[in-house]
Amino acid sequence: MMRRRDVISQIGPLIMLAAGLAFAFGAIATLELGSFRRMGAGAFPLLVGGILALLAAIGLVQNLRAPMETAKADPVAVLGVVGGVGSFAFFTPMLGVLPAAAIAVFATGAAIPGFRWPMRLALSVGVAIGVWLIFVKGLGMPFVAIRGF
Amino acid sequence: MELLSNLALGFSTATTVSNLFYCFVGVFLGTFIGVLPGVGPLAAVAMLLPVSFYLEPTTALVMLAGVYYGAEYGGSIASILLNIPGTPSSSVTCIDGYPMAQQGRAGVALFATSVASFFGGVFGVVVMVLLAPRLAEFALLFQPAEYFSVMVLGLIAASIVSSSGALRGLMMVCLGILLGTIGVDVNSGEARFTGGMPELRDGVSLVVVAMGLFGISEVMVSLRGATKSYAGQNVRGRDIYPTRAEWRRSFLPALRGASIGSFFGTLPGTGQTVASFVGYALEKKVSPNKAKFGAGAIEGVVVPESANNAAAQTAFIPTLTLGIPGSTTMALMLGALMIHGITPGPRLISDHPDLFWGLVVSFLFGNFFLLVLNIPLIGLWVRLLRVPHYYLYPTVIIMICVGVYGISNSLTDVWATLAFGLIGYVLRLFRFEPAPMLIGFVLGPMMEEFFRRAMLLSRGDPMVFLERPGSAALLAVGALLLCASALPVKRILGRLLRRA
Repeated sequence: MMRRRDVISQIGPLIMLAAGLAFAFGAIATLELGSFRRMGAGAFPLLVGGILALLAAIGLVQNLRAPMETAKADPVAVLGVVGGVGSFAFFTPMLGVLPAAAIAVFATGAAIPGFRWPMRLALSVGVAIGVWLIFVKGLGMPFVAIRGF
Repeated sequence: MELLSNLALGFSTATTVSNLFYCFVGVFLGTFIGVLPGVGPLAAVAMLLPVSFYLEPTTALVMLAGVYYGAEYGGSIASILLNIPGTPSSSVTCIDGYPMAQQGRAGVALFATSVASFFGGVFGVVVMVLLAPRLAEFALLFQPAEYFSVMVLGLIAASIVSSSGALRGLMMVCLGILLGTIGVDVNSGEARFTGGMPELRDGVSLVVVAMGLFGISEVMVSLRGATKSYAGQNVRGRDIYPTRAEWRRSFLPALRGASIGSFFGTLPGTGQTVASFVGYALEKKVSPNKAKFGAGAIEGVVVPESANNAAAQTAFIPTLTLGIPGSTTMALMLGALMIHGITPGPRLISDHPDLFWGLVVSFLFGNFFLLVLNIPLIGLWVRLLRVPHYYLYPTVIIMICVGVYGISNSLTDVWATLAFGLIGYVLRLFRFEPAPMLIGFVLGPMMEEFFRRAMLLSRGDPMVFLERPGSAALLAVGALLLCASALPVKRILGRLLRRA
């Protein structure tokens, strides 16, 4: 009987197997394979996808014998980063780069234990000013810094 | 004579105001980032990659290279003061650097590190000047089969250094190559794996992949541990100079370290970490002061530092002359060159002499900047370690977002970076390191091109890769490396250290 932990450790090689097979079958189904002499667009992805699927199958067998321990996920950290990047991408078209950057810093900081809101607010303002100085003034990137200004 | 005129060209390129300025900015930022444990040269170069698009190719490479070797130097500061290596290669510096700091001699250790890094760096540059043009001339004899095989060798070397084993490294390399096939095929014009999305016709952007895999996923891993700051000891200006006896004791170890580092730097897949380990182990064997190793011997700081800085310079030799990156950071450099429309390989030196020789000479200036910058700024780096790290990661996230967005004002790129960050994070959970994937992604398209060309020239006979002696030899070395990867390298290095 396999332990739950050992079953979870199989997911990694399974992802690789799925990726290899997806590229290999995708190449067969949608692309021209050509001949050995004049290889089509699908030949190389088919070859590499096949190799990846083979390696993943070996990995699966190896992992069955000696399961590799997986690392522990930290959903709060993931949410913090997704929240930060997501708010930047969401608010930039509405408010401009600088307010979006400030909101993103504030959101990401919320996931860090002990990082209280006044300090987060100060960092948000500081980072927005830094972005303006480095990217807008220094490098002259064509951003809408604050929408409406 | 030719060498002198090349160096003169290099000096005239490297000494332009903008190149000197960005070289300084690069080494300063590199040291700054290298000082902070957890953010290595790879993340630093990845974050600054978009900025480099706004610069001339030579200036961009000068800056990115400065970040790279500056971070290598910066990594040793946290090693000495806190016993936490800022970069993997500086973990050897902890062995004697930290005991020196505990004895109240942190300033001397940091000073010795600066001088040894400078010496190693300059030594590496000299090796590069002498070796790179010869290697490039030799590589001009290569045909597509040899190019393909040399890339296979580079990818095998990249995958076997993966800490979770060669098999997982190889899988990641393959995944990277497959990602590189997304987009329009240059030979047939057929769109591959784009899912009908016009944004994918040009392929997945290197910056998006690099920032996602190394920036975003790294922050996901480190964010919640970002609460602590470190209390390193104060370093006063007058306490940093070694004694005359220590100066005398340091010269030969620095020379030995630089020689070993220069050699290992040129080998794909080994790089600075192996160079500093082997340099330290050898020095412990031959040093008349071997009894003090591990208890704060200055030689134990000098050797790994000169070795890893020499290796940091000579790692550019295979990258620029063969187009084979020895490490992931070098793969990013290679990517930066390709984004600027420059194909790395044997023709780089003859087609872009100003870039090559300008970069080489900029290494000299960069190492000099590191020396003059770091001795007076040792106190600043110590204070930097005391800043709470929770300021760092949200700032890194914004640098990534703004950098990616700035390339083409596309928020799709920002979302894609987040997606790659999540992919990288999940793969890390299952012990798949993202570094080999990036090397596969960079080399994949070139590899496919040479593979198809070799098959065309051989009229469809795959035996061409084994019939041509050069190609067969390279593949044989690759096979040997794969066999050798079954050996427990870390255990062997550890045993080597203990036995020495």
